[in-house]
Amino acid sequence: MKDSITLKSKIYTVSELNLEIRKSLEKDYSLIWVEGEVSNFYFHDKKHMYFDLKDERSKIKVVMFQSNNKNLVFDIEEGLHILINGYISVFEKRGEYQVVALDARPVGKGSLILAFEQLKERLEKKGYFDRIYKKDIPILPAKIGVATSIGGAVIRDIIQVLKHRFENFHLIIRDVNVQGTTSSDEICEAIDDLCQYGVDVIILARGGGSLEDLWAFNTEKLAKKIFNCPTPLISAIGHETDYTISDFVSDMRAATPSVAGQLVILSKIEAVEKIKDLNKRMAHLIYSKIAILKKETNFIVRKRIFIKPGTLLNRFNQPALEFYDKLIGNMKEIIRIRQEKISTYRQLMDKKNIFKKIYIYKMTIRNIDARMISAVKNYLNLSKGKLRMILENLREKNPVAVIDRGFAIIYKAEGDKSIRSINEVNIDQKIRIILRDGILNAKIFDKIYKKLELGSNNEN
Amino acid sequence: MKIDKMSFEESIKKLEEIVKELEDENISLEESMEKFELGIKLSSNCLKKLNEAEGRIEELTRSEDGKLVTKELDLDKDS
Repeated sequence: MKDSITLKSKIYTVSELNLEIRKSLEKDYSLIWVEGEVSNFYFHDKKHMYFDLKDERSKIKVVMFQSNNKNLVFDIEEGLHILINGYISVFEKRGEYQVVALDARPVGKGSLILAFEQLKERLEKKGYFDRIYKKDIPILPAKIGVATSIGGAVIRDIIQVLKHRFENFHLIIRDVNVQGTTSSDEICEAIDDLCQYGVDVIILARGGGSLEDLWAFNTEKLAKKIFNCPTPLISAIGHETDYTISDFVSDMRAATPSVAGQLVILSKIEAVEKIKDLNKRMAHLIYSKIAILKKETNFIVRKRIFIKPGTLLNRFNQPALEFYDKLIGNMKEIIRIRQEKISTYRQLMDKKNIFKKIYIYKMTIRNIDARMISAVKNYLNLSKGKLRMILENLREKNPVAVIDRGFAIIYKAEGDKSIRSINEVNIDQKIRIILRDGILNAKIFDKIYKKLELGSNNEN
Repeated sequence: MKIDKMSFEESIKKLEEIVKELEDENISLEESMEKFELGIKLSSNCLKKLNEAEGRIEELTRSEDGKLVTKELDLDKDS
């Protein structure tokens, strides 16, 4: 490498080289016009626009900052052929260069026409022009609101037409600039005010002009305001050949402001004529109806029955009487048969009921019987057991039974008192000893104190 | 609905309907008379509504405290 460098060659650092290139490019391309097709369009945060401009063979990066793109009336979009005015700027840090666009315009057609077309297409897609959203315009509005310039000829034209059609109309005018940068906002505000004040219909009116003159009526903001306006709205902008976005969004388009005057209220003379005509037709219909009925009545009245009603009566009287008798006879027979049937059924019904009741009682009694018998049986069984226990007990305690088991009872010779202790008797005293089979009369000849060991009851 | 509460549009629409109904030949005389009577009331309501409005031209503005106000406007004088 060293071989190819002569002493005179300058060696740049990368930074130095990029700086030199930047100076050179920004000097030579400080004001350029470049034309091409938009691609890779990127609208960052709706602030700065980044895209490529390209032709068949080459492309260049473009940036359009917010301060410059906010004034664009049309939308830059993919594939659009545009002409850009700007300068070249080099981004030294990355060694990249790009066009900084200051302004842009479409190639082939005017910016406003393109903007108009773009907005119209966008709103149409959103359904802003759909017929279903169009409100009916009242034919006799009590209050007519107009948003227009009071200084212009347009309002005078409208009033002229209105006076001709309906002398006692009530007009509420809201003065607005119909041209200029604030115009669109003013018209939006006027629509709000007229709605708030309360009118039955609103007319937006403006005389003819260029597309630029009419531009206030082509903004998205006004389109949205009209679309959401609760009051029916007529758009009357420019001449017959002028079309604005507000014409498409409004409930009705009037070709000119004068036409709006005709559309907004019925002609009083015509209305009165129409009412009179309807009255006439009603009266005529009633009269002809009466005439027809009169004729029919006359025709009927002339019939024989009305002239000699007696003859006709006689003719029908006899068969009618016969028929009547027959009818009564039949009816009576039918009633008799029905009555019989009813009494039979009633008897049957009574019997059935009694049997049923008897059966129920029987079953109840049977049930009670069974329960009673088992209760008595239980009671008897219980009593038998108790009795046996009592008897056993009794047997046990019977003194006779004790004697039976080999014991004896000792009484004093006289009296019934039994002797329980040797202290109760003295030596030589007579005693009676009762045994199982008889009595021993005895005499005490000795007493020995000794505790009976088996006995527990023995005192002493 | 009471007829004097009906709008012009409603009244004239109803009136047109009544005329159509009266054209029906099968309608009874009694019914026709009722409809005729109603029709006459509707038509006089229409005429009343036509003359009811007061002819006025006003300008809508906002007062200093932001309230909506109207004032009579004479455009012939201005121009």
